[in-house]
Amino acid sequence: MNYILKNARIIDPGRGIDAVGDIGIENGLVADPGKVKKPTVMDLAGKVLTPGFIDLHVHLRQPGNTMAETIASGTAAAAAGGFTSVVAMPNTSPAADTAGAIEYLRQTAARTGVVRVLPCGCMTKGYAGQEMAGIGSLKTAGVVALSDDGKCIQDHALMRHVVEYAKSFELPILDHCEDNCLAAGGVMHEGKWSVLLGMNGMNGAAEELMISRNIILARQIGWSIHMQHVSVKESVDLLRKARAEGIAVTGEATPHHLSLTDENIKKYDTNYKMNPPLRSEEDRQALIRGVADGTITAIATDHAPHTATAKLVEFDHAPFGIIGLETALGVTYTVLVDSGIMQLPEYVKRLTTGPAEILRMKGYDLSEGKAADITVFDPEAEYVIDPAKFKSKSRNTPFGGRKVKCRPLLTFVGGKLVYSFEG
Amino acid sequence: MEWTRKDLLSLYDLNAEEIECILDTAAEFKKVSQRRVKKVPALRGKTVVNFFVEPSTRTRVSFELAEQRLSADVVNMQAQSSSLLKGETLLDTVKNIEALQVDLVVMRHSATGAQAFIASKLKCGVINAGDGAHSHPTQALLDIFTMREKKGTVKGLKVTILGDILHSRVARSNMWGLLKLGAHVTLAGPSTLVPREFESVPGVRVCHNLEEAVEGADVVNLLRIQHERQTAGFFPGIGEYARFFGINSDNMKLMKPDVLIMHPGPINRDVELSGEVADCSNSVILEQVTNGLAIRMAVLFLVAGCVKK
Amino acid sequence: MTKGKQLFSAADIDGAVGKIASGIGDEFKGDFRECALVGIHQQGVPLAERICRALEKKFGSAPVLGKLDISMYRDDIGNRMRLPPIRETEIPFDVNGSSIILVDDVLSTGRTIRAALDALTDYGRAGLIRLAVLVDRGNPEFPIRADYVGFTAHPPEKMKVVVRFEEDGEPGIYAVEWKNQNL
Repeated sequence: MNYILKNARIIDPGRGIDAVGDIGIENGLVADPGKVKKPTVMDLAGKVLTPGFIDLHVHLRQPGNTMAETIASGTAAAAAGGFTSVVAMPNTSPAADTAGAIEYLRQTAARTGVVRVLPCGCMTKGYAGQEMAGIGSLKTAGVVALSDDGKCIQDHALMRHVVEYAKSFELPILDHCEDNCLAAGGVMHEGKWSVLLGMNGMNGAAEELMISRNIILARQIGWSIHMQHVSVKESVDLLRKARAEGIAVTGEATPHHLSLTDENIKKYDTNYKMNPPLRSEEDRQALIRGVADGTITAIATDHAPHTATAKLVEFDHAPFGIIGLETALGVTYTVLVDSGIMQLPEYVKRLTTGPAEILRMKGYDLSEGKAADITVFDPEAEYVIDPAKFKSKSRNTPFGGRKVKCRPLLTFVGGKLVYSFEG
Repeated sequence: MEWTRKDLLSLYDLNAEEIECILDTAAEFKKVSQRRVKKVPALRGKTVVNFFVEPSTRTRVSFELAEQRLSADVVNMQAQSSSLLKGETLLDTVKNIEALQVDLVVMRHSATGAQAFIASKLKCGVINAGDGAHSHPTQALLDIFTMREKKGTVKGLKVTILGDILHSRVARSNMWGLLKLGAHVTLAGPSTLVPREFESVPGVRVCHNLEEAVEGADVVNLLRIQHERQTAGFFPGIGEYARFFGINSDNMKLMKPDVLIMHPGPINRDVELSGEVADCSNSVILEQVTNGLAIRMAVLFLVAGCVKK
Repeated sequence: MTKGKQLFSAADIDGAVGKIASGIGDEFKGDFRECALVGIHQQGVPLAERICRALEKKFGSAPVLGKLDISMYRDDIGNRMRLPPIRETEIPFDVNGSSIILVDDVLSTGRTIRAALDALTDYGRAGLIRLAVLVDRGNPEFPIRADYVGFTAHPPEKMKVVVRFEEDGEPGIYAVEWKNQNL
């Protein structure tokens, strides 16, 4: 099907455009709206149109834990959240540390995926942090990046070799920064609340230490390292200073770290348990400032589905992680834009060109001839988040019942309308 | 005032009147244990399950005796002998227990918040016998009852809690209860085990020096030092702890002459306190045990006593 | 709390206390050495104190005074919305072989007295137990009778009989509608 999308406010950071206009879609590509044949015309007055959102951090759970999510359901959730591309984290079971595993992922995604699934390969075999994975083979198989997400390589010498080797294959490194010794055994942020509640805490220094390690390696080796789910004030400060010095490091922040704090743990609701944990209000504010001033250039959800049974246990024993694809836009828009902290075009970068640059994708924009990956949303729509309506198989979210602003309306992947808001 | 709560989970949730109500009720139950017939029919026909996922002897025996003196029917369950080991979730185990028409569950668990989680899902009442490092309300209540009995009032008392505060549910529950009743609380011990974050609570002082912590104290409550902490690298060893934080007749001179020496038990002689101090007349450690029974009878009576809404 | 309809005045109460005291004095022939008056919380306690003072005045001596809270012996634990707080029990004498006069302000269903008998039995084996009440409503649910009675009164069942002494303000005996009460 071909489309003409009329009267939308088009925000295309790649070309520096922020203006009301029309966009054409023909044969899956962006086209001159005046020349599109047999178009379906949509009037998007009052709505915002941008390049499709990219989520650098999604757990699709297939293969290995398809009760919680599959590539089909996870990508449907992505589409419902306005995402046209997701980077699939490799901590599946078996892990995505071989070309065969990547091939399985690509074929299943081609067959059942609703949006683009960008494969990510492990840095080490079985993401165990011991032996380097076949990074060259992974590149040939089609990975867009490397990560041991869920774990962090503790052996700095090994990390150094991984980064050096990845550089030669031009593969971005996405690191889950966590020093095991300082964080071990913890279930929540180490701070006033962990002390009052008597829970084991994960010291923020665990993140700072590995971010420092990565900054040093990035500087020495001359290859960029991307810090996943930055959560602590000091981490933001370190990133800001390193970037000012020209070191190639980037960071992402999750919607939950931008909107929630550790005080919520006193409810013992495991939907507030994730790694890195929710931190203090001071950390949250520093993170917001970091996203606003461009120290952090990407918003990524760390969408981590778990079955209700898995999460319905004592807080100490519950697995880490919450879903986030379908709540990302509403939660982050409300916290960052509706509050007046950021302007909309700058915010849009965090979901589009920001992640694209981290993946070394050049020219991520809506110029004619580009793939028509398009997100349309309504920034004025106010609504209450209702997990019962989610496309994801899982429901482990802390945002049920939360009133937010800004709703995804239409999602196009390669010109195909993969999501349309009903209601 | 009248008791209206379905559960007793933490002293943090209670107000001063509710705590006083438990103490007043316990005062009457203490008399029952001093009579010829140490039993009352209050909970006759009611079934209480003692569900201890974390093992315990003293607390369980105290609860069991309290339940029997209230004429309740008692069932004891330990984690090893329950289906938890076979892979049944905690929630399913407890729902199965409830399906047997029990009236009350007394529960201890090593995971903080487990009782709160269970209580919200059960129709019957839940009494927390200890969850993780978070809360042990009946222990704190019996400690406070002892203080009130001996000193007349808790308000204005200088109470020092000494030991591994970081991992202690007894310390936390005492802290919340004492603050609600207007006492001054000092938390003391090695700096690795007594984080300054506790001073974010109004009315709490943190102290890493023993002399400073006990000077002028009305009550010194000693926590058992656990051997596992040593191996976890928190402090060098029992010898060093005893030397710098153990109570003996010398540092007792810094306290008020009628100071109460308390300990939740079991005591480590010559570690938390010297043998002399354990046996001196200021020690009320054994009375705490007696009072524990009265407090638990009171709590069981109150929680079982009213219709659950 | 509404006052309710007055059934008897403060002066009537004084008269009734005197009548009960005379009855007790006659039975024990003024010798109260083996005797005890046990007031049942709540209003049985101040009533027992008044009976004691009346006996003291008339006979120059009085029985030992005790108080009893029957909360632990109630038959409705777990069925009420709220439990009233437990008040002080003091039995400062040896129950074994004693002559005990239980004192309560109003005899209604008889269940309170049943509980009090159970409680006393757990203290020992009494020689004999008598019951003194200020108001007997005459329609007990249990086979309980009072030995010394101040007044009989038969207000409708939906009314509660409330006794107020000087320290409660507006002394007298009143019939009050049940829903106006706290319990």
